[in-house]
Amino acid sequence: MLVLAKVALGLGATLVMTTAYVFHEGVIRVDVDEHHRGGEHVHFWVPATTVSAGMRLARLAPQHLLEQAAVQVKPYLPVLRTLATELQKYPDAEFVDVTDPEEHVHIATVDGKLHIDVLDDEETVHVQVPVETLMDVADRLEDAAQSAGEDEWHARHAKHSVALASE
Amino acid sequence: MNLSIRGFLRTAAFLALAACALAPAASLARAATDTDQWIHIRVTSKDARGEVVRVNVPIELAAKVLPAINKDQLHDGKIRIDSAHMEDVDLHVILDAVRTAKDGEYVTVQSNENNVRVSKSNGVLYIYVTDKEHPKKASKDDAAKGAKSSESVETKVEIKVPMKVVDALFSAGKDELDLVAALRALSAHGDTELVTVKDAENDVHIWIDSKNTAE
Repeated sequence: MLVLAKVALGLGATLVMTTAYVFHEGVIRVDVDEHHRGGEHVHFWVPATTVSAGMRLARLAPQHLLEQAAVQVKPYLPVLRTLATELQKYPDAEFVDVTDPEEHVHIATVDGKLHIDVLDDEETVHVQVPVETLMDVADRLEDAAQSAGEDEWHARHAKHSVALASE
Repeated sequence: MNLSIRGFLRTAAFLALAACALAPAASLARAATDTDQWIHIRVTSKDARGEVVRVNVPIELAAKVLPAINKDQLHDGKIRIDSAHMEDVDLHVILDAVRTAKDGEYVTVQSNENNVRVSKSNGVLYIYVTDKEHPKKASKDDAAKGAKSSESVETKVEIKVPMKVVDALFSAGKDELDLVAALRALSAHGDTELVTVKDAENDVHIWIDSKNTAE
């Protein structure tokens, strides 16, 4: 009985810790509703940690897709990183609000999450991303871009060596 | 008894660890203080749609993000001015002349088409422009179509810039404007109105204060 209680306590504590870790960065939430006939309705939420962890695990998988994306966004990564760092200082703030009879665009931070809301006649989009996750994404993409750069250097170096050897 | 105390301590330790893990990291970051200055831009359209655009940006954030943007004329938080477009006007000399001059009104232009006033008072540069667009005479084609001549339109522009901000803006060198230095100077200046533009289509208002939302 005592052993069972200990096991239950251990499992319970592990469950609490795992849940706590998975949700410690918050939740990414995306809601898209297209109002036209046959329009898409996308609603999902994922723990932000899974995005960060997923991008780390991508190292184990073929990297070319991540590296390709990283190279494309490389010029904007310093801006993303700086923006994410600075946004952490403003956990509750309204940055952009555009209102007219047909459209409403709102960008703000609420409880440390970046909220982007677009409402118009054609579609409704709500996106919530913890600011901390933006930092993680920028970090991972920077790593991938650096790795892509190193690969490119190695490829060029190898090509150059082969050319020299053939001469 | 010993066992129950040990169990309690273990549970408490787990709960404490869980609480630490759950505490959002965002709260550990330095929260913005109430003294942070924000630059606000509000554009109100006067047309039937009545579009309103409000943008609020912390000056500190803008000053940090701008140097990270390197595109076209913008680099390291500075904008390169194409000297070819300056038509041999040395802005630094003019600025120095304005800086050292006593307070007063420097430029007054009054005409049927526009009024321009440039003055300096207590370290602040004021620029007022009123542009009067007179109604054009309807052309024969317009008259044939029954079009009426447009109504008289007036555009009013009021700009108020602390001289310290102007100095900071021109501190980078001859062919550059230092935006980051200007932003920091603005931040140090405190709450102030910067730009007001009123015309037939839009009202534009740019100002600085320590509130993180527009009025």
